[in-house]
Amino acid sequence: MTHSPVLRLTGAAFTHPGGAGVAGLDLEIGRGEAVALIGPNGAGKSTLLKGILGLVPRTAGTLELGGARASERPSHSRNGMVAFLPQSAELDADFPISLEQVVMQGRYRGLGLLRWPGRADRAAVAQALDRVGLAQLAKRPFGELSGGQRQRGLLARALASQPALLLLDEPFNGLDQANRDALVETLRQLKADGVAVLVSTHDLELARLVCDSVVLVNGTQLAHGPVDDVLTLGNVQECFEGVEVEIDEHTLVVPGHEGH
Amino acid sequence: MTIVDALFSAFAIPFMGRALVVMLVLAVVAGVVGVLVNLRGLEFISDGLTHAVFPGLAIGLAVGGASGLIPGAAIAALAGALALTWLDRAGVTSDAAIAIVLTAAFSIGVIVVSKSSDYAGELEALLFGRVLTIPPDQVLPLVAVSGVALVAVVVTLKQQLFRAFDARGSRAAGDSALVLDLVLNAAIALVVVAAASTVGTLLVLALLIVPGAVARLVTMRLWWLFPVAAGFAAVAAWLGLAAGFAVSVGAGVDVPAGATIVAVFVLGYALVLAVAQVAGWVRGSGVGRSGFEPLPPASDAPRPARTGARRPAAPLEHAARARRAGEER
Repeated sequence: MTHSPVLRLTGAAFTHPGGAGVAGLDLEIGRGEAVALIGPNGAGKSTLLKGILGLVPRTAGTLELGGARASERPSHSRNGMVAFLPQSAELDADFPISLEQVVMQGRYRGLGLLRWPGRADRAAVAQALDRVGLAQLAKRPFGELSGGQRQRGLLARALASQPALLLLDEPFNGLDQANRDALVETLRQLKADGVAVLVSTHDLELARLVCDSVVLVNGTQLAHGPVDDVLTLGNVQECFEGVEVEIDEHTLVVPGHEGH
Repeated sequence: MTIVDALFSAFAIPFMGRALVVMLVLAVVAGVVGVLVNLRGLEFISDGLTHAVFPGLAIGLAVGGASGLIPGAAIAALAGALALTWLDRAGVTSDAAIAIVLTAAFSIGVIVVSKSSDYAGELEALLFGRVLTIPPDQVLPLVAVSGVALVAVVVTLKQQLFRAFDARGSRAAGDSALVLDLVLNAAIALVVVAAASTVGTLLVLALLIVPGAVARLVTMRLWWLFPVAAGFAAVAAWLGLAAGFAVSVGAGVDVPAGATIVAVFVLGYALVLAVAQVAGWVRGSGVGRSGFEPLPPASDAPRPARTGARRPAAPLEHAARARRAGEER
């Protein structure tokens, strides 16, 4: 018996109404697989993630989720399959909300408008917080957590929705070593549980420790394959358009770029 | 006249009783809706809606007399909600755009009212309301309009809060930003309709903004914001009516009740703000996120505490901050 990949992009392009976008995407991610998405700022990494979420229109090719074709228009629903981890710095630290309440938002899609969280939802939230190691901080105001804790809290929110595909946008930006280690361990557990992961990152350590393959993009897909095959100096220099880059086992140093 | 007379006995008089019923319902609903206005930073859009209602009130009055006020205001408010939602999604929600819309609407209202034979009287009633002269047959429509606004917000409350906190996350989770914005703007519009008939279009904004701002000062617990805002609004509305009655009947100074209600709202905000400042100083850390609540103990490397000099934000500062939060429409 064969399983459909969780995500399959075939000749796909995602384009903002203003014209910017990313094209030529051919990619499959199966259950328990993780793929790193690497490229310079403005390469279309976030556009690709938003396109999968249905927030940016797909202007070419096909997108399949769990074997089913998604519509071409930006859709408001991906049938609960996809969860997204934004960068925590985008959120208002003054918003009066606890970590536990943030994680509960991951359950809202399944509840709809009229139902309110019940025992099963609270259990799922507790489990997600436990999984990212923040159960003891559940009642704390979200804005009072450290940057790394907030990022892990948002990961818990994504986990609470029990997705088949998890999208992460630069999850390691600004994290200290302890939070990076915790995030890596959580991602490994998720893979073991069969969750497919697509992560936008500059962190080669994350790519090597967690991901099975790498996609290099800069407006279009430049390379895709196993980490060690794709992350060569030549490929990375081509991707970053002649910018002087340094690369070793753990880091990708790109002058003028954030990240590692 | 004693204080007891003003606070309790006065409301046995039919017109005072009707005013109290309408104001209590309106205050509770405005308090709940106002929390979302505060969290989303929609204060200026709310101001735009209050002005958009004015020509509807004026045309309704001209066409149908007093009974035309609510239908006229409702049509204008819902049209305003649609226009502002569209402007917002079209990316032209600059303060200038809203200002242009609201002043244009207000000028239309003034032109319509100027054709009335009792120009000054009608204008005053529309601007400052007529809470003490609400006809008995208008109580039910006002309560119904407020009720619809409350139901609209309560049904979408989880999703509204999700969108207020993380607009992109909300959309990624399948929520329709268009539907949520339309529902919230329509709820604000309906509160404006009900309030414009009571405290008037110039003072409506206080009912929508002050309770939410007070709640933000009092608590940082999300679900407590709503009862705190509604409770504050209800008490302030009651005290404002009583104050208006005492000044007008007891002291013989004719003061519009809508104005005394709003004055009590603002005084209440100032009082809470002062207490929050003192509470912050007593804790030795200035005023924190909430003036009254100490932070829970940290158990795992919390982010740096807020600076001691931080003061609680004024209502319009919350709006600016929310806009800065980079919300995606």
